[in-house]
Amino acid sequence: MIVLDNVTKRYPGSQDALSNASFSIDQGEMVYVTGHSGAGKSTLLKLVAAIERPSNGTVLINNQNVSKLRDSALPYIRRKFGLVFQDHKLLYNRNCYHNVALPLAINGITGADAAKRIRAALDKVGLLHKEKAMPITLSGGEQQRLAIARAVVSRPSILIADEPTGNLDKNYAGDILKLFGAFQQVGVTVIIATHDTLGSANQTHKILHLDHGRLTCQQVTADE
Amino acid sequence: MNSWLTHHAQALKLVITRFQNNIFSNLFIALTIAVSLALPMIVYLVLSSFSGLVSTIKSDSHLSLFLKSDVTPTMIDTIHNTLATRESIKQFHFISKEDALKQLMADKNNQDIISSLTENPLPDAFFIEPAALDSAAIQQLKGDLSQLDGIENVQVDDAWLKRLGYLLTLGKKALFVLAMLLGFALFTVIGNTIRMQILTQQEEIEVSQLIGATRSFIRRPFLYSGAIYGLIGALFALMITSIVIWLFNSSVSTLAAEYQTDFSLSLPNVDVFLITCITAITIGLVSAYIAVSKSLIKSIN
Repeated sequence: MIVLDNVTKRYPGSQDALSNASFSIDQGEMVYVTGHSGAGKSTLLKLVAAIERPSNGTVLINNQNVSKLRDSALPYIRRKFGLVFQDHKLLYNRNCYHNVALPLAINGITGADAAKRIRAALDKVGLLHKEKAMPITLSGGEQQRLAIARAVVSRPSILIADEPTGNLDKNYAGDILKLFGAFQQVGVTVIIATHDTLGSANQTHKILHLDHGRLTCQQVTADE
Repeated sequence: MNSWLTHHAQALKLVITRFQNNIFSNLFIALTIAVSLALPMIVYLVLSSFSGLVSTIKSDSHLSLFLKSDVTPTMIDTIHNTLATRESIKQFHFISKEDALKQLMADKNNQDIISSLTENPLPDAFFIEPAALDSAAIQQLKGDLSQLDGIENVQVDDAWLKRLGYLLTLGKKALFVLAMLLGFALFTVIGNTIRMQILTQQEEIEVSQLIGATRSFIRRPFLYSGAIYGLIGALFALMITSIVIWLFNSSVSTLAAEYQTDFSLSLPNVDVFLITCITAITIGLVSAYIAVSKSLIKSIN
């Protein structure tokens, strides 16, 4: 359960990236954050994922107030999330297997248990046969799927993806969205930022629409 | 506890793998560190070898107590008794002016000169070996003895030893300065090496922080790196020092033999090695800690 109450985020020397946003996300929801480029989508995701602290207002993650937490407690909150970054942030000096191993290493999981989970995650995104390949040799869609595998390997209860279909063609984008849909169906909260309307998978979903840092529209849609 | 161990094992394994991947550049860095460690180590060993020499020679040093020419046998007895009661005197012996003359006469070269003398010019003398070896105690003894009745002159033949002592003190100060400067160099070398490593792993550090790595998780491998550089550097330094001392020792012993002593430079012992190791590891840890902390502040939003 994530609650944002009257949250404003201001970066030094610029306008509010997000102003007075209030909304809540329940466990297992599928949420699309939409809006033009620069509307504050990424900022909103960073606030939700406890990567940034709000300038004003409160962010509650499972009833913990992020603004009030000590710096040393933030990493433990972040581990509840699986993050897929806009620019993937894959590590190009290690192979697919070891890219996916990183979150587990951070959680102190190594050895046979880790290997099992890593292969399961790679299998889920269809990259099991490429575990020894270096990320640079993968196509754009494969890199995106590798990033998803890394995000889900530690079995987070919340999955956050920033523009996961941004520079993919429609077929690939559809595959990726189906993948997110599959995670949502097993009870994972999925939050996706997107600037286009590809986000119409066949599930009930919530839309948070941003315009110049303001939350202009909140709706729950049930597509056919 | 278990996860703590896992984290440490993980970090150590990572560092060792990275070391193996760049074995040559890492060996050269370790050699640089080793040279900075070996220099003060060699100077220290040379100095301590000389200090050892000084204390063995000092036990040979003695005081000569020359008596006045008009001294009476009773006065000699009094002096003898005074000397016998002093604790700062290890042992002493008396040589009368007649005995001294006989000793001189024993040498044929002196016979002509002595036979031309009308009377014996030599004084009665006590030769004293002091118990304490430091020059302050010897000076004190000299002062006390010159107060005695019937004493003409007290001579201490440790002037050159004193000079050597001063030189050694000077040497120790120079060693301290050298060690400080090279320690600082070591600090910079390890710090810069770690900074380079951080630069090549900046992405990994950033991603790890974003997905929930604690600061200590990120710091740990670099701390191990710093410590390992220090340790390997210390091991190399031990090797370099031993080789240098060994090379010099053959020449030093030959030279010392000319002076009828069996002086040689001592090889590094366990104490020296342990202190070098601990110093190097500490410097490695501290400089790595500072380097990583800086990069963490930069990459946190």
